[in-house]
Amino acid sequence: MTAPALRLQGVSKHYGPVRAVHAVDLTVGTGEVYALLGLNGAGKTTLMRMVLGMVRPGAGSIAVLGRGPRERPTRAQVGYLVAAAAAYPELTVRENLEVARRLRRVPTPAAVPDAVELFGLGEYADRRARDLSQGNRQRLALARAMLHRPSLLVLDEPVNGLDPAGVAEVRTLLGDLAREHGTTVLLSSHLLGEVARLATRIGVLHRGRLLEEFPARALPQRVRHHLELTTRDDDRAVAVLAAAGFPAHLRAGAVVLTGERAVRRPEDVATALVRGGVAPTGLTVVREDLEGYFLRLVRPPSGRAEAPGPPERPRGR
Amino acid sequence: MAGDLAAAVHAEALKLRRSRVPWATAAAMVLAALVGAFFMFVLQDVGRARALGLLGAKAQLAGGTADWPGYFSLAAQTVAVGGLLVFGTAAIWLFGREFSDRTATDLLAVPTSRTAVVLAKLLLGLAWCALLTVLLVALVLVLGALLGLPGWSAATAARGTGTVLGTGLLTAGLAASYGLAASVGRGYLPAVGVLFLTVLLAQVLAAVGHGEWFPWAVPALLAGAAGPGRADVGWAGPAGVVLVALGSAAATALWWERADHSA
Repeated sequence: MTAPALRLQGVSKHYGPVRAVHAVDLTVGTGEVYALLGLNGAGKTTLMRMVLGMVRPGAGSIAVLGRGPRERPTRAQVGYLVAAAAAYPELTVRENLEVARRLRRVPTPAAVPDAVELFGLGEYADRRARDLSQGNRQRLALARAMLHRPSLLVLDEPVNGLDPAGVAEVRTLLGDLAREHGTTVLLSSHLLGEVARLATRIGVLHRGRLLEEFPARALPQRVRHHLELTTRDDDRAVAVLAAAGFPAHLRAGAVVLTGERAVRRPEDVATALVRGGVAPTGLTVVREDLEGYFLRLVRPPSGRAEAPGPPERPRGR
Repeated sequence: MAGDLAAAVHAEALKLRRSRVPWATAAAMVLAALVGAFFMFVLQDVGRARALGLLGAKAQLAGGTADWPGYFSLAAQTVAVGGLLVFGTAAIWLFGREFSDRTATDLLAVPTSRTAVVLAKLLLGLAWCALLTVLLVALVLVLGALLGLPGWSAATAARGTGTVLGTGLLTAGLAASYGLAASVGRGYLPAVGVLFLTVLLAQVLAAVGHGEWFPWAVPALLAGAAGPGRADVGWAGPAGVVLVALGSAAATALWWERADHSA
Protein backbone atom coordinates (compact mmCIF):
# COMPACT_ATOMS: atom_id res chain seq x y z
CA MET A 1 0.00 0.00 0.00
CA THR A 2 1.42 3.39 -0.93
CA ALA A 3 1.93 5.97 1.78
CA PRO A 4 -0.55 8.84 1.77
CA ALA A 5 0.71 12.05 0.24
CA LEU A 6 0.03 13.85 3.47
CA ARG A 7 -0.51 12.66 7.01
CA LEU A 8 -1.01 14.89 10.03
CA GLN A 9 -1.39 13.33 13.45
CA GLY A 10 -2.45 15.37 16.47
CA VAL A 11 -0.98 18.54 15.02
CA SER A 12 -1.33 21.65 17.15
CA LYS A 13 0.10 25.13 17.05
CA HIS A 14 -0.63 27.64 19.77
CA TYR A 15 0.65 31.20 19.90
CA GLY A 16 0.38 32.07 23.55
CA PRO A 17 -3.32 31.96 24.38
CA VAL A 18 -4.28 31.89 20.69
CA ARG A 19 -5.07 28.38 19.48
CA ALA A 20 -4.22 28.56 15.76
CA VAL A 21 -4.46 24.81 15.10
CA HIS A 22 -5.51 22.20 17.63
CA ALA A 23 -5.14 18.41 17.51
CA VAL A 24 -5.72 18.03 13.79
CA ASP A 25 -5.59 14.56 12.27
CA LEU A 26 -5.66 14.61 8.51
CA THR A 27 -4.75 12.14 5.77
CA VAL A 28 -4.71 13.01 2.09
CA GLY A 29 -4.23 10.24 -0.42
CA THR A 30 -2.17 10.49 -3.58
CA GLY A 31 -4.06 12.18 -6.39
CA GLU A 32 -6.71 13.64 -4.09
CA VAL A 33 -7.79 17.26 -4.27
CA TYR A 34 -8.43 18.13 -0.64
CA ALA A 35 -10.06 21.44 0.11
CA LEU A 36 -9.86 23.12 3.48
CA LEU A 37 -12.78 25.35 4.27
CA GLY A 38 -12.78 27.80 7.11
CA LEU A 39 -13.48 31.36 8.10
CA ASN A 40 -10.65 33.88 8.37
CA GLY A 41 -8.48 32.89 11.32
CA ALA A 42 -9.72 29.27 11.28
CA GLY A 43 -6.13 28.02 11.02
CA LYS A 44 -6.01 27.06 7.33
CA THR A 45 -2.90 29.07 6.48
CA THR A 46 -1.06 28.03 9.65
CA LEU A 47 -1.85 24.40 8.82
CA MET A 48 -0.53 24.84 5.28
CA ARG A 49 2.61 26.55 6.54
CA MET A 50 3.24 23.64 8.90
CA VAL A 51 2.83 21.22 5.99
CA LEU A 52 5.44 23.27 4.11
CA GLY A 53 7.83 23.34 7.07
CA MET A 54 7.64 27.11 7.45
CA VAL A 55 6.09 26.86 10.88
CA ARG A 56 6.99 24.15 13.39
CA PRO A 57 4.06 22.38 15.02
CA GLY A 58 3.85 22.72 18.78
CA ALA A 59 2.65 19.12 18.99
CA GLY A 60 1.97 16.21 16.68
CA SER A 61 3.66 14.94 13.58
CA ILE A 62 3.50 15.72 9.87
CA ALA A 63 4.60 13.43 7.05
CA VAL A 64 4.68 14.86 3.55
CA LEU A 65 5.15 12.31 0.78
CA GLY A 66 6.38 9.94 3.47
CA ARG A 67 9.04 12.29 4.86
CA GLY A 68 9.45 15.28 7.14
CA PRO A 69 8.26 18.54 5.59
CA ARG A 70 11.68 20.19 5.91
CA GLU A 71 13.63 17.43 4.21
CA ARG A 72 15.21 18.34 0.90
CA PRO A 73 13.60 15.55 -1.19
CA THR A 74 10.22 16.64 0.16
CA ARG A 75 10.81 20.23 -0.83
CA ALA A 76 11.88 19.16 -4.30
CA GLN A 77 8.47 17.55 -4.81
CA VAL A 78 6.23 20.17 -3.29
CA GLY A 79 4.91 23.30 -4.99
CA TYR A 80 3.10 25.97 -3.10
CA LEU A 81 1.35 29.27 -3.12
CA VAL A 82 0.64 30.69 0.31
CA ALA A 83 -0.18 34.26 1.25
CA ALA A 84 -0.41 36.83 -1.52
CA ALA A 85 0.64 36.14 -5.10
CA ALA A 86 3.86 38.10 -4.74
CA ALA A 87 6.63 38.46 -7.30
CA TYR A 88 9.84 40.46 -7.60
CA PRO A 89 8.39 43.65 -9.06
CA GLU A 90 11.48 44.73 -10.99
CA LEU A 91 11.90 41.35 -12.68
CA THR A 92 9.97 40.29 -15.75
CA VAL A 93 7.63 37.31 -15.72
CA ARG A 94 10.34 35.22 -17.39
CA GLU A 95 12.99 36.38 -14.90
CA ASN A 96 10.75 35.67 -11.93
CA LEU A 97 10.28 32.15 -13.21
CA GLU A 98 14.01 31.84 -13.85
CA VAL A 99 14.72 32.77 -10.21
CA ALA A 100 12.21 30.12 -9.14
CA ARG A 101 13.77 27.55 -11.48
CA ARG A 102 17.20 28.16 -10.00
CA LEU A 103 16.02 27.98 -6.40
CA ARG A 104 13.91 24.90 -7.16
CA ARG A 105 17.02 23.37 -8.74
CA VAL A 106 15.14 22.45 -11.91
CA PRO A 107 17.90 21.49 -14.35
CA THR A 108 16.01 22.08 -17.59
CA PRO A 109 15.84 25.75 -18.69
CA ALA A 110 12.86 24.79 -20.90
CA ALA A 111 10.76 24.59 -17.72
CA VAL A 112 10.42 28.39 -17.83
CA PRO A 113 8.96 28.76 -21.36
CA ASP A 114 6.82 25.69 -20.71
CA ALA A 115 5.31 27.31 -17.63
CA VAL A 116 4.84 30.60 -19.50
CA GLU A 117 2.88 28.76 -22.18
CA LEU A 118 0.91 26.56 -19.78
CA PHE A 119 -0.39 29.57 -17.87
CA GLY A 120 -1.03 31.75 -20.89
CA LEU A 121 1.62 34.28 -19.93
CA GLY A 122 3.32 34.44 -23.34
CA GLU A 123 2.07 37.94 -24.06
CA TYR A 124 3.45 39.17 -20.74
CA ALA A 125 6.67 37.14 -20.56
CA ASP A 126 8.90 40.21 -20.87
CA ARG A 127 6.72 42.50 -18.80
CA ARG A 128 7.88 43.48 -15.33
CA ALA A 129 5.84 41.89 -12.55
CA ARG A 130 5.00 45.32 -11.13
CA ASP A 131 3.09 46.10 -14.34
CA LEU A 132 0.95 42.94 -14.27
CA SER A 133 -2.72 42.89 -13.39
CA GLN A 134 -3.69 41.04 -10.22
CA GLY A 135 -5.00 38.16 -12.26
CA ASN A 136 -1.76 37.79 -14.19
CA ARG A 137 0.25 38.04 -10.97
CA GLN A 138 -1.83 35.15 -9.70
CA ARG A 139 -1.08 33.21 -12.89
CA LEU A 140 2.61 33.92 -12.39
CA ALA A 141 2.46 32.69 -8.81
CA LEU A 142 0.71 29.50 -9.92
CA ALA A 143 3.23 29.02 -12.73
CA ARG A 144 6.03 29.32 -10.16
CA ALA A 145 4.32 26.81 -7.89
CA MET A 146 3.98 24.25 -10.68
CA LEU A 147 7.19 24.97 -12.57
CA HIS A 148 8.81 21.73 -11.38
CA ARG A 149 5.70 19.55 -11.82
CA PRO A 150 5.41 18.78 -8.10
CA SER A 151 3.84 15.68 -6.56
CA LEU A 152 2.05 17.78 -3.95
CA LEU A 153 0.61 21.23 -4.47
CA VAL A 154 -0.30 23.38 -1.49
CA LEU A 155 -2.41 26.30 -2.61
CA ASP A 156 -3.90 28.95 -0.35
CA GLU A 157 -6.72 30.71 -2.20
CA PRO A 158 -5.37 29.75 -5.65
CA VAL A 159 -8.02 31.52 -7.71
CA ASN A 160 -7.91 34.84 -5.87
CA GLY A 161 -8.03 37.71 -8.32
CA LEU A 162 -8.65 35.57 -11.38
CA ASP A 163 -11.47 36.40 -13.76
CA PRO A 164 -14.10 33.69 -14.40
CA ALA A 165 -12.14 32.37 -17.40
CA GLY A 166 -8.99 32.19 -15.28
CA VAL A 167 -10.86 30.39 -12.50
CA ALA A 168 -12.12 27.83 -15.01
CA GLU A 169 -8.60 27.40 -16.44
CA VAL A 170 -7.09 26.77 -13.02
CA ARG A 171 -9.90 24.37 -12.16
CA THR A 172 -9.27 22.41 -15.35
CA LEU A 173 -5.51 22.47 -14.81
CA LEU A 174 -5.67 21.25 -11.21
CA GLY A 175 -8.19 18.58 -12.16
CA ASP A 176 -5.94 17.39 -15.00
CA LEU A 177 -2.87 17.37 -12.75
CA ALA A 178 -4.67 15.25 -10.17
CA ARG A 179 -6.28 12.85 -12.64
CA GLU A 180 -3.53 12.42 -15.22
CA HIS A 181 -0.37 12.93 -13.19
CA GLY A 182 -1.51 11.80 -9.75
CA THR A 183 -0.64 15.19 -8.31
CA THR A 184 -2.07 15.68 -4.85
CA VAL A 185 -3.58 19.08 -4.14
CA LEU A 186 -4.24 20.63 -0.75
CA LEU A 187 -6.07 23.88 -1.21
CA SER A 188 -8.07 26.44 0.63
CA SER A 189 -10.59 28.73 -0.95
CA HIS A 190 -13.41 30.96 0.09
CA LEU A 191 -15.09 30.36 -3.29
CA LEU A 192 -17.14 27.49 -1.99
CA GLY A 193 -18.78 26.82 -5.33
CA GLU A 194 -15.34 26.31 -6.84
CA VAL A 195 -14.34 24.00 -4.02
CA ALA A 196 -17.45 21.92 -4.56
CA ARG A 197 -16.58 21.53 -8.25
CA LEU A 198 -12.87 20.88 -7.84
CA ALA A 199 -12.27 18.97 -4.61
CA THR A 200 -12.52 15.26 -4.12
CA ARG A 201 -12.64 15.70 -0.34
CA ILE A 202 -13.55 18.61 1.85
CA GLY A 203 -12.43 19.39 5.40
CA VAL A 204 -14.05 22.07 7.53
CA LEU A 205 -11.63 23.81 9.86
CA HIS A 206 -13.04 26.03 12.57
CA ARG A 207 -11.21 27.69 15.45
CA GLY A 208 -8.19 25.51 14.75
CA ARG A 209 -10.11 22.21 14.84
CA LEU A 210 -11.04 19.98 11.95
CA LEU A 211 -14.79 19.91 12.51
CA GLU A 212 -15.72 17.55 9.75
CA GLU A 213 -14.43 16.01 6.56
CA PHE A 214 -16.34 14.25 3.83
CA PRO A 215 -15.97 13.24 0.17
CA ALA A 216 -17.14 16.05 -2.10
CA ARG A 217 -19.47 13.62 -3.87
CA ALA A 218 -21.28 13.09 -0.56
CA LEU A 219 -22.20 16.74 -0.38
CA PRO A 220 -25.66 16.33 -2.00
CA GLN A 221 -26.63 13.85 0.72
CA ARG A 222 -25.38 16.11 3.50
CA VAL A 223 -26.94 19.36 2.45
CA ARG A 224 -30.49 20.29 3.36
CA HIS A 225 -33.26 20.76 0.85
CA HIS A 226 -36.43 22.77 1.09
CA LEU A 227 -39.38 23.59 -1.06
CA GLU A 228 -40.15 27.13 -2.07
CA LEU A 229 -43.39 28.09 -3.74
CA THR A 230 -45.35 31.15 -4.62
CA THR A 231 -49.10 31.58 -4.92
CA ARG A 232 -51.56 34.45 -5.38
CA ASP A 233 -52.46 34.24 -1.66
CA ASP A 234 -49.51 32.99 0.37
CA ASP A 235 -51.22 33.34 3.79
CA ARG A 236 -54.08 31.14 2.65
CA ALA A 237 -51.60 28.70 1.07
CA VAL A 238 -49.86 28.26 4.42
CA ALA A 239 -53.22 27.47 6.08
CA VAL A 240 -54.19 25.03 3.30
CA LEU A 241 -50.86 23.26 3.51
CA ALA A 242 -51.03 23.01 7.31
CA ALA A 243 -54.45 21.41 7.01
CA ALA A 244 -53.03 18.93 4.47
CA GLY A 245 -50.19 17.97 6.83
CA PHE A 246 -47.45 20.07 5.23
CA PRO A 247 -46.14 22.58 7.80
CA ALA A 248 -45.08 25.75 5.98
CA HIS A 249 -43.99 29.29 6.75
CA LEU A 250 -43.48 32.52 4.90
CA ARG A 251 -39.97 33.74 4.16
CA ALA A 252 -38.86 36.53 1.85
CA GLY A 253 -42.08 36.57 -0.18
CA ALA A 254 -42.29 32.81 -0.62
CA VAL A 255 -43.93 29.87 1.10
CA VAL A 256 -41.21 27.62 2.48
CA LEU A 257 -41.57 23.95 3.41
CA THR A 258 -38.68 22.15 5.06
CA GLY A 259 -40.38 18.86 5.87
CA GLU A 260 -38.86 15.75 4.33
CA ARG A 261 -42.19 14.57 2.87
CA ALA A 262 -42.70 17.89 1.08
CA VAL A 263 -39.20 17.84 -0.36
CA ARG A 264 -39.51 14.24 -1.50
CA ARG A 265 -42.98 14.61 -3.01
CA PRO A 266 -43.47 18.21 -4.23
CA GLU A 267 -46.26 17.01 -6.51
CA ASP A 268 -48.37 16.15 -3.42
CA VAL A 269 -47.86 19.70 -2.17
CA ALA A 270 -48.99 21.11 -5.51
CA THR A 271 -52.06 18.85 -5.50
CA ALA A 272 -53.00 19.93 -1.98
CA LEU A 273 -52.77 23.58 -3.01
CA VAL A 274 -54.88 23.08 -6.13
CA ARG A 275 -57.53 21.26 -4.10
CA GLY A 276 -57.49 24.10 -1.55
CA GLY A 277 -58.08 26.66 -4.32
CA VAL A 278 -54.64 28.32 -4.18
CA ALA A 279 -52.80 26.85 -7.15
CA PRO A 280 -49.05 27.44 -7.06
CA THR A 281 -47.63 29.98 -9.51
CA GLY A 282 -44.11 28.72 -8.90
CA LEU A 283 -42.56 25.74 -7.14
CA THR A 284 -38.87 24.94 -6.67
CA VAL A 285 -36.92 22.36 -4.71
CA VAL A 286 -33.99 24.37 -3.34
CA ARG A 287 -30.77 22.58 -2.46
CA GLU A 288 -28.58 24.13 0.22
CA ASP A 289 -25.27 25.08 -1.32
CA LEU A 290 -21.86 24.45 0.21
CA GLU A 291 -21.84 27.93 1.68
CA GLY A 292 -25.10 27.30 3.51
CA TYR A 293 -23.90 23.93 4.70
CA PHE A 294 -20.61 25.40 5.87
CA LEU A 295 -22.26 28.25 7.76
CA ARG A 296 -24.67 25.82 9.40
CA LEU A 297 -21.72 23.72 10.56
CA VAL A 298 -19.83 26.57 12.16
CA ARG A 299 -22.91 28.31 13.55
CA PRO A 300 -23.67 27.75 17.25
CA PRO A 301 -26.93 25.95 18.12
CA SER A 302 -28.61 29.28 18.99
CA GLY A 303 -28.58 30.02 15.29
CA ARG A 304 -26.89 33.36 15.74
CA ALA A 305 -23.96 33.95 13.36
CA GLU A 306 -20.75 33.24 15.20
CA ALA A 307 -17.88 35.68 15.34
CA PRO A 308 -15.33 34.62 12.74
CA GLY A 309 -12.91 32.42 14.61
CA PRO A 310 -10.17 33.32 17.07
CA PRO A 311 -8.47 36.68 16.77
CA GLU A 312 -5.79 36.97 14.10
CA ARG A 313 -2.43 35.89 15.39
CA PRO A 314 -0.04 38.74 15.94
CA ARG A 315 2.21 39.12 12.93
CA GLY A 316 5.83 38.24 13.16
CA ARG A 317 5.39 35.12 15.24
CA MET B 1 25.75 23.10 -0.47
CA ALA B 2 27.99 24.41 -3.28
CA GLY B 3 25.22 23.79 -5.80
CA ASP B 4 22.71 25.49 -3.52
CA LEU B 5 25.00 28.47 -3.10
CA ALA B 6 25.60 28.80 -6.84
CA ALA B 7 21.84 28.67 -7.47
CA ALA B 8 21.15 31.23 -4.76
CA VAL B 9 23.95 33.55 -5.92
CA HIS B 10 22.61 33.45 -9.47
CA ALA B 11 19.09 34.27 -8.31
CA GLU B 12 20.24 37.02 -5.95
CA ALA B 13 22.56 38.54 -8.58
CA LEU B 14 19.67 38.78 -11.03
CA LYS B 15 17.53 40.51 -8.41
CA LEU B 16 20.34 42.92 -7.51
CA ARG B 17 21.16 43.67 -11.15
CA ARG B 18 17.58 44.58 -11.98
CA SER B 19 17.14 46.81 -8.93
CA ARG B 20 18.02 50.48 -8.47
CA VAL B 21 20.28 49.68 -5.51
CA PRO B 22 23.53 49.29 -7.49
CA TRP B 23 22.96 52.61 -9.27
CA ALA B 24 21.89 54.48 -6.14
CA THR B 25 24.81 53.22 -4.04
CA ALA B 26 27.34 53.81 -6.84
CA ALA B 27 25.95 57.33 -7.27
CA ALA B 28 26.42 57.90 -3.52
CA MET B 29 30.08 56.84 -3.84
CA VAL B 30 30.67 59.08 -6.86
CA LEU B 31 29.12 61.96 -4.94
CA ALA B 32 31.35 61.22 -1.94
CA ALA B 33 34.47 61.25 -4.16
CA LEU B 34 33.38 64.51 -5.83
CA VAL B 35 32.67 66.18 -2.48
CA GLY B 36 36.10 65.08 -1.25
CA ALA B 37 37.67 66.45 -4.42
CA PHE B 38 35.82 69.71 -3.91
CA PHE B 39 37.24 70.02 -0.37
CA MET B 40 40.72 69.34 -1.73
CA PHE B 41 40.16 71.98 -4.40
CA VAL B 42 39.10 74.48 -1.74
CA LEU B 43 42.01 73.62 0.53
CA GLN B 44 44.49 74.01 -2.32
CA ASP B 45 43.93 77.76 -2.24
CA VAL B 46 43.64 79.32 1.22
CA GLY B 47 42.17 82.54 -0.16
CA ARG B 48 39.40 80.67 -1.92
CA ALA B 49 38.80 78.63 1.23
CA ARG B 50 38.42 81.80 3.30
CA ALA B 51 36.10 83.27 0.68
CA LEU B 52 33.85 80.22 1.08
CA GLY B 53 33.64 80.86 4.85
CA LEU B 54 31.95 78.09 6.83
CA LEU B 55 32.32 75.47 4.11
CA GLY B 56 36.05 76.10 4.01
CA ALA B 57 36.31 75.70 7.77
CA LYS B 58 34.47 72.36 7.66
CA ALA B 59 36.72 71.14 4.88
CA GLN B 60 39.74 71.97 6.99
CA LEU B 61 38.33 69.99 9.90
CA ALA B 62 37.45 66.93 7.88
CA GLY B 63 40.20 66.62 5.34
CA GLY B 64 43.17 68.34 6.82
CA THR B 65 45.56 69.29 4.09
CA ALA B 66 45.20 69.38 0.33
CA ASP B 67 47.58 66.57 -0.54
CA TRP B 68 47.41 62.87 -1.34
CA PRO B 69 47.55 61.64 2.30
CA GLY B 70 44.80 64.15 3.14
CA TYR B 71 42.56 63.04 0.27
CA PHE B 72 43.05 59.36 1.10
CA SER B 73 42.29 60.07 4.75
CA LEU B 74 39.12 61.95 3.80
CA ALA B 75 38.09 59.05 1.53
CA ALA B 76 38.66 56.52 4.32
CA GLN B 77 36.55 58.57 6.72
CA THR B 78 33.85 58.87 4.07
CA VAL B 79 33.77 55.07 3.71
CA ALA B 80 33.71 54.62 7.48
CA VAL B 81 30.79 56.96 8.18
CA GLY B 82 28.99 57.39 4.83
CA GLY B 83 29.77 53.80 3.94
CA LEU B 84 27.95 52.58 7.01
CA LEU B 85 24.84 54.30 5.66
CA VAL B 86 25.35 53.21 2.03
CA PHE B 87 26.45 49.63 2.73
CA GLY B 88 23.85 49.36 5.48
CA THR B 89 21.15 50.46 3.06
CA ALA B 90 22.26 47.80 0.56
CA ALA B 91 22.15 45.10 3.27
CA ILE B 92 18.75 46.27 4.47
CA TRP B 93 17.44 46.12 0.90
CA LEU B 94 18.87 42.64 0.27
CA PHE B 95 16.98 41.16 3.22
CA GLY B 96 14.16 43.60 3.88
CA ARG B 97 12.81 43.53 0.33
CA GLU B 98 11.80 39.89 0.72
CA PHE B 99 9.34 40.95 3.42
CA SER B 100 8.25 44.24 1.88
CA ASP B 101 7.63 42.57 -1.49
CA ARG B 102 6.15 39.56 0.34
CA THR B 103 8.46 37.22 -1.54
CA ALA B 104 10.07 35.69 1.57
CA THR B 105 7.70 32.71 1.54
CA ASP B 106 9.02 31.79 -1.91
CA LEU B 107 12.46 31.22 -0.38
CA LEU B 108 11.37 29.14 2.59
CA ALA B 109 10.27 25.78 1.22
CA VAL B 110 12.44 25.28 -1.84
CA PRO B 111 15.19 22.69 -2.27
CA THR B 112 17.85 25.41 -2.09
CA SER B 113 18.61 25.73 1.61
CA ARG B 114 17.71 28.90 3.47
CA THR B 115 21.29 29.12 4.71
CA ALA B 116 22.52 29.17 1.10
CA VAL B 117 20.08 31.99 0.33
CA VAL B 118 21.31 34.00 3.34
CA LEU B 119 24.93 33.31 2.46
CA ALA B 120 24.34 34.36 -1.15
CA LYS B 121 22.82 37.65 -0.01
CA LEU B 122 25.72 38.30 2.36
CA LEU B 123 28.36 37.40 -0.23
CA LEU B 124 26.73 39.57 -2.87
CA GLY B 125 26.43 42.42 -0.39
CA LEU B 126 30.07 42.06 0.58
CA ALA B 127 31.17 41.89 -3.07
CA TRP B 128 29.12 44.95 -3.98
CA CYS B 129 30.46 46.94 -1.01
CA ALA B 130 34.00 45.95 -2.01
CA LEU B 131 33.30 47.10 -5.58
CA LEU B 132 31.94 50.40 -4.30
CA THR B 133 35.09 50.90 -2.22
CA VAL B 134 37.26 50.10 -5.23
CA LEU B 135 35.19 52.61 -7.24
CA LEU B 136 35.85 55.25 -4.59
CA VAL B 137 39.61 54.52 -4.63
CA ALA B 138 39.66 54.73 -8.43
CA LEU B 139 37.79 58.04 -8.36
CA VAL B 140 40.15 59.39 -5.67
CA LEU B 141 43.14 58.46 -7.81
CA VAL B 142 41.69 60.08 -10.94
CA LEU B 143 40.34 63.21 -9.22
CA GLY B 144 43.49 63.63 -7.12
CA ALA B 145 45.58 63.44 -10.29
CA LEU B 146 43.31 65.96 -12.04
CA LEU B 147 43.64 68.33 -9.07
CA GLY B 148 47.43 67.88 -9.15
CA LEU B 149 47.62 67.14 -5.43
CA PRO B 150 51.12 67.17 -3.95
CA GLY B 151 52.68 64.39 -1.85
CA TRP B 152 52.32 61.49 -4.32
CA SER B 153 54.53 58.48 -3.87
CA ALA B 154 54.02 54.80 -4.45
CA ALA B 155 54.20 54.19 -0.70
CA THR B 156 51.63 56.93 0.02
CA ALA B 157 49.31 55.56 -2.65
CA ALA B 158 49.66 51.99 -1.36
CA ARG B 159 49.10 53.07 2.26
CA GLY B 160 46.16 55.31 1.34
CA THR B 161 44.55 52.70 -0.91
CA GLY B 162 45.05 50.05 1.76
CA THR B 163 43.45 52.25 4.43
CA VAL B 164 40.40 53.00 2.28
CA LEU B 165 39.98 49.37 1.22
CA GLY B 166 40.51 48.08 4.77
CA THR B 167 38.03 50.58 6.15
CA GLY B 168 35.58 49.62 3.41
CA LEU B 169 35.95 45.94 4.24
CA LEU B 170 35.37 46.50 7.96
CA THR B 171 32.36 48.70 7.24
CA ALA B 172 30.97 46.10 4.82
CA GLY B 173 31.33 43.49 7.56
CA LEU B 174 29.33 45.64 9.95
CA ALA B 175 26.58 45.97 7.35
CA ALA B 176 25.73 42.30 8.00
CA SER B 177 24.17 43.42 11.28
CA TYR B 178 21.57 45.41 9.33
CA GLY B 179 20.71 42.33 7.28
CA LEU B 180 19.96 40.60 10.58
CA ALA B 181 17.85 43.55 11.73
CA ALA B 182 15.90 43.56 8.45
CA SER B 183 15.26 39.81 8.80
CA VAL B 184 14.18 39.80 12.43
CA GLY B 185 12.24 43.03 11.89
CA ARG B 186 10.70 41.53 8.73
CA GLY B 187 11.13 44.63 6.61
CA TYR B 188 13.00 47.85 6.03
CA LEU B 189 11.82 50.12 8.81
CA PRO B 190 13.12 48.39 11.96
CA ALA B 191 16.50 47.93 10.27
CA VAL B 192 16.68 51.58 9.24
CA GLY B 193 16.03 52.43 12.89
CA VAL B 194 18.91 50.18 13.95
CA LEU B 195 21.13 51.78 11.28
CA PHE B 196 20.50 55.30 12.54
CA LEU B 197 20.85 54.20 16.15
CA THR B 198 24.25 52.59 15.56
CA VAL B 199 25.52 55.58 13.56
CA LEU B 200 24.39 57.91 16.34
CA LEU B 201 25.89 55.76 19.10
CA ALA B 202 29.14 55.46 17.14
CA GLN B 203 29.40 59.26 17.00
CA VAL B 204 28.61 59.72 20.68
CA LEU B 205 30.88 56.93 21.95
CA ALA B 206 33.75 58.03 19.69
CA ALA B 207 33.33 61.59 20.96
CA VAL B 208 33.56 60.52 24.62
CA GLY B 209 36.59 58.34 23.94
CA HIS B 210 35.06 54.85 24.15
CA GLY B 211 34.63 54.26 20.44
CA GLU B 212 37.06 51.33 20.30
CA TRP B 213 34.61 49.27 22.37
CA PHE B 214 31.74 49.93 19.99
CA PRO B 215 32.42 48.02 16.74
CA TRP B 216 30.33 50.39 14.59
CA ALA B 217 32.69 53.25 15.57
CA VAL B 218 35.90 51.35 14.90
CA PRO B 219 36.26 51.88 11.10
CA ALA B 220 35.89 55.64 11.54
CA LEU B 221 38.48 55.66 14.33
CA LEU B 222 40.88 53.59 12.23
CA ALA B 223 40.33 56.00 9.34
CA GLY B 224 41.39 58.88 11.59
CA ALA B 225 37.99 60.54 11.92
CA ALA B 226 38.70 61.37 15.57
CA GLY B 227 42.22 62.58 14.79
CA PRO B 228 45.42 60.71 14.01
CA GLY B 229 46.16 60.26 17.71
CA ARG B 230 42.99 58.24 18.20
CA ALA B 231 43.50 55.87 15.24
CA ASP B 232 45.14 53.19 17.38
CA VAL B 233 42.22 51.11 18.62
CA GLY B 234 44.28 48.07 19.60
CA TRP B 235 43.27 44.53 18.73
CA ALA B 236 39.87 44.74 20.41
CA GLY B 237 38.49 47.18 17.83
CA PRO B 238 38.94 45.11 14.66
CA ALA B 239 38.21 41.93 16.62
CA GLY B 240 34.87 43.41 17.66
CA VAL B 241 34.06 44.26 14.04
CA VAL B 242 34.88 40.73 12.91
CA LEU B 243 32.79 39.35 15.76
CA VAL B 244 29.81 41.52 14.80
CA ALA B 245 30.15 40.57 11.12
CA LEU B 246 30.45 36.83 11.69
CA GLY B 247 27.96 36.82 14.55
CA SER B 248 25.39 38.72 12.48
CA ALA B 249 25.88 36.37 9.53
CA ALA B 250 25.48 33.30 11.72
CA ALA B 251 22.49 34.77 13.57
CA THR B 252 20.81 35.72 10.29
CA ALA B 253 21.26 32.20 8.90
CA LEU B 254 20.01 30.71 12.16
CA TRP B 255 16.99 33.00 12.24
CA TRP B 256 15.98 32.11 8.66
CA GLU B 257 16.50 28.43 9.43
CA ARG B 258 14.81 28.21 12.83
CA ALA B 259 12.21 30.95 13.13
CA ASP B 260 8.52 30.34 12.48
CA HIS B 261 7.73 32.06 9.22
CA SER B 262 4.12 32.99 9.44
CA ALA B 263 4.21 36.56 8.12
